[in-house]
Amino acid sequence: MKKALRELFSFKRGPKINGGYLLSLAISILLALLVGALIMAASGHDPIAGYSAMLTGALSSKRAIGDTLAKSATLCLTGLATAVAAQAGIFNVGGEGQLYFGAMASALLGAALTGAPAVLAVPLCLLAAMLAGGLWALIPAWLKVKLKVNEVITTIMMNSIAIYFCAYLSNGPLKTTERGIASGTAKIDTSFAFSRVINLSNLTTSIFLSVAIALMVWYLMKKSVTGYEMKLTGENERFAHYMGIPSAKLMLLGMVISGAICGLVGMFEVFGLHKRFIDSVSNEFYYDGMLVAMIMRYEPTGIILMSLFFGILKIGGTGMEKIGIPSETILIVQSIIIFFMAAERGISASVREKRVRRNARIKADAAKGGSEHA
Amino acid sequence: MAEREPIVRFEHISMQFPGVLANDDVSLEIYPGEVFALVGENGAGKSTLMNVLYGLNQPTSGAIHVKGKKVEKQSPSQAIAMGVGMVHQHFKLVGSFTVAQNIALCCEPKKKLGLYDFRAANDTVRHLSEEFGLEIDPTAQVNSLSVGLQQRVEILKTLHRGADVLILDEPTAVLTPQETDELFRVIRGIVRDKGMTVIIITHKLYEVMAISDRVGVMRAGKLVGLKNTSEVNERMLASMMVGREMLHAQLEKTGDTGDERIRVENLQVLSDRMLPAVQGVSLNVRAGEILGVAAIEGNGQSELIEAITGMRPVRGGEVFIDGKSVAGKTPGEIRKLGLAHIPEDRLRTGVSPAASVEDNLLAGKQRTKEFSAAGMHLKRRAVHEYARKLFSQFDIRGAGVGTAAGSLSGGNMQKVVLAREFSLGADILIISQPTRGVDIGAIEFIHKSIVEKRNAGCAILLVSADLDEVFRLSDRIITLYEGKITGHFRAGEIEKADIGYYMTGARTGSEEASR
Repeated sequence: MKKALRELFSFKRGPKINGGYLLSLAISILLALLVGALIMAASGHDPIAGYSAMLTGALSSKRAIGDTLAKSATLCLTGLATAVAAQAGIFNVGGEGQLYFGAMASALLGAALTGAPAVLAVPLCLLAAMLAGGLWALIPAWLKVKLKVNEVITTIMMNSIAIYFCAYLSNGPLKTTERGIASGTAKIDTSFAFSRVINLSNLTTSIFLSVAIALMVWYLMKKSVTGYEMKLTGENERFAHYMGIPSAKLMLLGMVISGAICGLVGMFEVFGLHKRFIDSVSNEFYYDGMLVAMIMRYEPTGIILMSLFFGILKIGGTGMEKIGIPSETILIVQSIIIFFMAAERGISASVREKRVRRNARIKADAAKGGSEHA
Repeated sequence: MAEREPIVRFEHISMQFPGVLANDDVSLEIYPGEVFALVGENGAGKSTLMNVLYGLNQPTSGAIHVKGKKVEKQSPSQAIAMGVGMVHQHFKLVGSFTVAQNIALCCEPKKKLGLYDFRAANDTVRHLSEEFGLEIDPTAQVNSLSVGLQQRVEILKTLHRGADVLILDEPTAVLTPQETDELFRVIRGIVRDKGMTVIIITHKLYEVMAISDRVGVMRAGKLVGLKNTSEVNERMLASMMVGREMLHAQLEKTGDTGDERIRVENLQVLSDRMLPAVQGVSLNVRAGEILGVAAIEGNGQSELIEAITGMRPVRGGEVFIDGKSVAGKTPGEIRKLGLAHIPEDRLRTGVSPAASVEDNLLAGKQRTKEFSAAGMHLKRRAVHEYARKLFSQFDIRGAGVGTAAGSLSGGNMQKVVLAREFSLGADILIISQPTRGVDIGAIEFIHKSIVEKRNAGCAILLVSADLDEVFRLSDRIITLYEGKITGHFRAGEIEKADIGYYMTGARTGSEEASR
């Protein structure tokens, strides 16, 4: 179990996703749901009612579906951001900070450009978010490539810098002059904002951009020459260098793309929901996406699909709360699912080994039996 | 010998790995005080069998007896306690520790207050190395040692733990003739004076003849032959190993020697420890010839190759490829000058073990028109067909194009490296240890491929620890000792027996010069 956990949370890319993995993943999810049911039963709730409340909460109404899709899109983009850096051999733990800077930069520009035509202003704001996130990610990548500084440490530290620096700006020098707003920057021109696709839900037109970005990242990682070169770099940097692949450049590129995506996620939050930068623009969105990416072994296709499942889990939790199941129980169920997936590798390996041993023993016994008869 | 009590007894050992039956009902007895050689092609199950004895693998069925006692729960610590020590093909050393720290690992000498007693550890190692005649600096960091010396540390480690059955897994794969002789001297010494038992796994049949008392031959997981060494010869062993007579076809030289392609002038290169490794080497290689470099491990040949190929900075002097200096160029830029490189360490440098064989074969060609559209889209179907073609052309076996390269056997992995590097269209080839840890069938194939390239007009620089290989392939031979060239010969000018003097610095100069 410990080994399995270590493998999951170590950054090295594991074996590929195959039928066996998908099967054991499905079994892990079922087992986790079962344990979740036991916990609900033990705390005096009807598990069937609980899970159906989860599904209703996530999928029963247009609004619920909208919220689920919006959540999934965020998970998907942050997950892909982790994966694209991982493909080039860098573990980006700093997406949260890159998201904050993307949100802040685009919010400031969106407010500054008030009155400008939206066709011009919105692309500029998108660009600003990508630049802010990308450049913030470039720093740790550059430190890793040039000075061999461990990126996990620098990115985690830079998260704190970004988050608190943005909090300082939005509560201090850049605080809005509007009355009745406790903290946050000036409001963006509302004509720049993404409009809602489904009323009252969090689903905005940014979903179309999210889908486009997801497809582009998938293409880059799976189908392009650059993606292939990134993969070789991530798997064996010395080999890449020896083959003449510009590994340092690809690491920088992977990290900048990762940061730019995170910046965009921040921008989507601001231009879709809050219309200004606020301190709570993200609630550890990046870490959730990172988790999805690690469970799906940095495989883009898997990440896209798994984000939908996690979206249901996250939004469905509110449905469970409505029938009186405390949100803590929901968190426990969610954690157990992640735990089972983490343990999957160790469990399936031991199952495989047992099977092989048993078959060999049967074969050996049969051979022995045969020779005794003869 | 047969009436003696065996020190190790394998009883119907079978070992099933997923998809592979690595050992198939092997029964074998080893007697105290003998040198037992276990031979077989790659993947024949030799290492697996020894890993079972050392407790690394739990056999699927069968039992092991050591000194008359049945081994109940196999584990390395159990094996060590019973006096079984093993030196693996891939060393298990802590690179950042010193020699003494590695050897004393698990039973460190302590001072008062439980502090590590470095001096005692160093002294122990010094005594040990004197007692067994294995010279080593106890304070050197293991990372900075040559492979040959690291092996020495491994052997000392097992001796320190009181092993009296020593398993050596392909110990000579990384050694030169002199180092091998040295190792054999040590083996004979510990068997004669200390009454130890040595089991040696090897590919090299003349070594079996030179060192062993008895020999076991494995093929496809089975023990197919068990003989007294005095009753067999190399040819017999070879045919048992491969199930066919070994080829030793003459390799014809055709084509003429052409223009100079590689010129190295007074080259200086530093080792990882920032000490001079190559000290003023000058050489040239012309089109249509193979220049062989014969040197004992750690005499600068690795650094020489790495400097020429751009993997290591040039400290002084010059390397010219077709008259263009490589100084400050990356390996990729040097490849563009028409150079291909088969590195000495395939697992670390030669392949990406986690990537598929197909992806490994593609590397270097991914941006050509053949495989990419507009430098962006990777044409997977074309890559797939290309990989299939190389598979049959280079006789790569034991896997599909989608298998991870790291799961191939040594010989097949080397063929993957060879297939890629020989298909890049380069006509300057830098080849290092092409057949290290490779089975006999593959060696024959690799040698033929290299000679074909030479006959087609390629300029080839070949470094090998295997003297047979250097002599069989080279048109000219240079010897390196402590980073300097000590001898320079044309093929046929020097005997294998004499070249050792130059490789150990006992003689310098060239046959031409002395004439």
